[in-house]
Amino acid sequence: MSLLVENLSVAGPQGRIVQGVSLAAGPGAPLTLIGETGSGKSLVAAAIMGTLPPGLSAAGLVRFEGRDLLPLSAGERRALWGRRIALLPQEPWLSLDPTMPATGQVEEVFGLVRGQAQPAASSASTRLLAALGLGGKAAERYPFQLSGGMAQRVAIAATQAAGAALLLADEPTKGLDAALRDDLAAMLNARAAEAAVLTITHDVALARMLGGTVAVMLEGRVVESGPAAQVLDAPRHDYTRRLVGADPSRWPRPAPTASNAGVVVTGRGLARGFGGRQLFRDLDITVHAGEIVAVSGPSGCGKTTLGNVLLGLLRPDAGTVTRITAAPVRFQKLYQDPPSAFAPHATLRTALADLARRHGIAWARISPLLQRLRLAPALLDRLPGQISGGELQRFALARVLLLDPVFLFADEATSRLDPITQQEVMDLLRAQMAERGLGVLLVTHETALAEAMAARRVMLDAAETQAAAATEVATAAV
Amino acid sequence: MSDAVLEAGPPATRGMGMTRWTGGALLLALVAFAVAGPLLAIDPARQDLRNMLAPMGGDYLLGTDHLGRSILARLAHAARLSLGFATLALLAAAIPGTLLGLVAAWRGGWVDRALSILADMILALPGLLLVLVVAAFAPGDIRVLFLGVSVALWVEFFRVVRASAASLLASPEVEAARLLGFGPAHIVRRHVAPRLAPVLATLAAFGVGGTVVTISTLSFVNVGVRPPMPEWGNMIVELMPYFEEAPAHVLAPAACIFLLLIALNLLAGRDPR
Amino acid sequence: MSPIARTLIGRAIQAVTVALLVGVITFVLAHTLPGDIAMRVAASRYGADLVSGEAADLVTRELGLDRPWTVQLLDWLWRVVRFDLGEALVTGEKVTDELGLQLGYTLLLSFAALFLSLLIGPPLGLLLGLRAGSAMDRAGLTASAAIRALPPFVLGLLLILLFSLVLGWLPPTGFEGLRELILPSLTLALGLAATSSRITRDATASVVAAPYFAFARWKGLSDRQALLRHGLRNAGVPVIAYIGMQLVWLIEGVMAVEILFAWPGVGHALVHAVFARDIPMLQGTALTMGLMFVALNALVDLTCAAIDPRRRAA
Repeated sequence: MSLLVENLSVAGPQGRIVQGVSLAAGPGAPLTLIGETGSGKSLVAAAIMGTLPPGLSAAGLVRFEGRDLLPLSAGERRALWGRRIALLPQEPWLSLDPTMPATGQVEEVFGLVRGQAQPAASSASTRLLAALGLGGKAAERYPFQLSGGMAQRVAIAATQAAGAALLLADEPTKGLDAALRDDLAAMLNARAAEAAVLTITHDVALARMLGGTVAVMLEGRVVESGPAAQVLDAPRHDYTRRLVGADPSRWPRPAPTASNAGVVVTGRGLARGFGGRQLFRDLDITVHAGEIVAVSGPSGCGKTTLGNVLLGLLRPDAGTVTRITAAPVRFQKLYQDPPSAFAPHATLRTALADLARRHGIAWARISPLLQRLRLAPALLDRLPGQISGGELQRFALARVLLLDPVFLFADEATSRLDPITQQEVMDLLRAQMAERGLGVLLVTHETALAEAMAARRVMLDAAETQAAAATEVATAAV
Repeated sequence: MSDAVLEAGPPATRGMGMTRWTGGALLLALVAFAVAGPLLAIDPARQDLRNMLAPMGGDYLLGTDHLGRSILARLAHAARLSLGFATLALLAAAIPGTLLGLVAAWRGGWVDRALSILADMILALPGLLLVLVVAAFAPGDIRVLFLGVSVALWVEFFRVVRASAASLLASPEVEAARLLGFGPAHIVRRHVAPRLAPVLATLAAFGVGGTVVTISTLSFVNVGVRPPMPEWGNMIVELMPYFEEAPAHVLAPAACIFLLLIALNLLAGRDPR
Repeated sequence: MSPIARTLIGRAIQAVTVALLVGVITFVLAHTLPGDIAMRVAASRYGADLVSGEAADLVTRELGLDRPWTVQLLDWLWRVVRFDLGEALVTGEKVTDELGLQLGYTLLLSFAALFLSLLIGPPLGLLLGLRAGSAMDRAGLTASAAIRALPPFVLGLLLILLFSLVLGWLPPTGFEGLRELILPSLTLALGLAATSSRITRDATASVVAAPYFAFARWKGLSDRQALLRHGLRNAGVPVIAYIGMQLVWLIEGVMAVEILFAWPGVGHALVHAVFARDIPMLQGTALTMGLMFVALNALVDLTCAAIDPRRRAA
């Protein structure tokens, strides 16, 4: 075990944020830290690396390759960066210099950090990128020309180039779909054979794939730890149980659509292009009352566009959309980033009051709905930016439910939320849907979520340049 | 070209609130000077020929110029002229500029294109050049000056408002509001106006400052406001030959310009253009 | 078509627009006083005392001043394309000859000012940006704000007062040689540098706080390596783009400074043409300054594209 952490605590001006954290990792023995936002897991990685924000300090024991890291000076810590300890950042497409080609960003590590002379550095960089799946022309591209997955590979190559023996991966699957997540897990596993790998994530599926040891963090402490299979399949702590249960692959499969359910919206022969690319063509899709249809596919394949066409926000290039009612206000949408759908300077009470006034809705209808969605009345007087993502998304749900919708387009509505919060919102959505006979189009990049929520799924498949093919997959009821 | 150059914004420096207050106070003092000064001061055209280039202090608080006229009185009248002119030009530019910017952003299509082409045409000539060419045909005529300045200023308001409004109108919050059944009036009130207000305030500050600089520069080269009407720029050029005898006198109008611009810069903050 | 080709075409259109604007404005305004022009041309040719209504009519017919103004405008545009701008009313010389000489002085002044400002502004801004929030940064911001609160003619005046009249180091006006160039170009350079240092400071502070800068350091690069390889180019993008905006200030400032320092450039000639109601000269100088503005902007566009690959992408 090259990395040993004992009784690590991180304190700030308001007191201790993280305490009593003990863990170990080494080549062949990866460690995964699981937790939700605010659990302190990123701070643990920052304490090990030496990148704690100003105002926070770490105490305890952090020993790597026989050296105590915490007593080292900033300069000595700095000397380890890249060479012994590497940090893979959260959103790699933001962490690459937009004005430098991909290969240069890896090459400079070989050249400047490892000290190799020019031709050797260049070929080493090309080889490494090719090994990670970025061969030939792709490696010469600029970051803005790379997809999320490709940017991820460049970042990994950069962390590997200097030969670090400890890799800290901070939320590496953020924003990646299932296929890319699996690729990433494979890359991390390959690395874990030779170096100590510490992965931070809230994705339980990823933790399972990585194996090794798992430690669960809640509010700054480790509440449970042990071998991955044991912790994830037979959790002992209540929180771990809830976290594991929030993995969509664990949810009960949805019931198939009732055969007599009315049709809410139908699209026939839909086609739509964007920026010279054809997103989809000859697409037929139907959503019934009381059912969820999921649309998945890689990013940029037109999922959001399809939803907007069904809503009537966009006109299709070809084809027709038939809706059960002409009232546009009964077709609504939930957004991926909850704060972006609200006016930032108006309190939630004002927002709801405006809506009530516009549509002649009595306030008496609002309170019971808020209660059903477990939203405390005190939250009404806050601004959208002052409440949590989960609470705000539930407010957004309340807002659209007040208009008695027949169709709801949930555009990645929970992808920014923590797993347990996601489960809550999805449960509420399902309950409301059943009650009101609502038809829901769920767009998600998470295959597990699509399978867990939807009786019928549409897969949009887009390659670089050619037209899309849509295939409908029916999930058998369990 | 570079409207969004610094949209990301750097780490703000602390203590900026203090500077805003200082700027505001200074501006208020200058406005008071412009409004009350001419009422309280003596006749700026009165020539006290026995007291030419009198030193500061004594009978004349800021001395007299080469024709024996009170500098203080002339500065006050010049302040009223500059601030009054700049404010009127600002309103003449800001109101149509903002409205048309909103219309262009909302309607898009040919309305937007036509207005944008018009704005680009006006932008082809730098403001001072434009005003100079226009003023060439009636030097000293303040109405022509007003026209030139307003037209040049209109473009800035139009472009900035159009860009801000366009990006706002394409945002999820406006899309959501539309889906929820809200109309343009509500969207402008709740979504556009709160975001636009600070931008407009900054543009106004820069607009007033820029206008005063334009007028004083043109007056300095004798094309703008001509003597005997007092204006800071023409006062400077008149007093320049007497620098050696009365150095402070030339600096007085220069100081007025400086104080006004500093006050506006402190109030305004970042340049949104 | 690549973005850069599109931008250059846009600049070409802007150049044509400048010509149109100058032509239209001067023609429309001049047309409101036709008798005046004919009289002035006659006066400049034959002397003020010998001018008469007949002489004015002669001139009117000769220069075609009685044709509809649209025809006159098109005729002028056609002559512009052939570099024929007529004769100056005051001197009788060909406008293009005079402009040639004056343009040389103006370009000398402009480039000297730009060069000096690039020496002062961005390096200072870089330094302050790396120390954002410090006392030095605060002082720099204050100084920059103070200089920006001085219009070019006032700043020039203060420099003359300081360096010529008080210290006696430099000559106040004139255009003999390099010494005379110092004060006017310094005046403009200080104003430009005040803004460019602020922009550079903001851009540097932004870049240093950016995720890609942090990642560069985490990869193992030293601060110096990260700054040189990732900081400068990214900070340079908004800085160079902003220079485009500064060109407006430069053109306006050049006019004011040329008058103040009696520097015989195009701006100086423009203002004198205004006084003398010398229409051909007015058109020629306004056209030249306008086109110079467009050309400098095009240069900035090209430089931006050279640095930022996002602008080159097809």
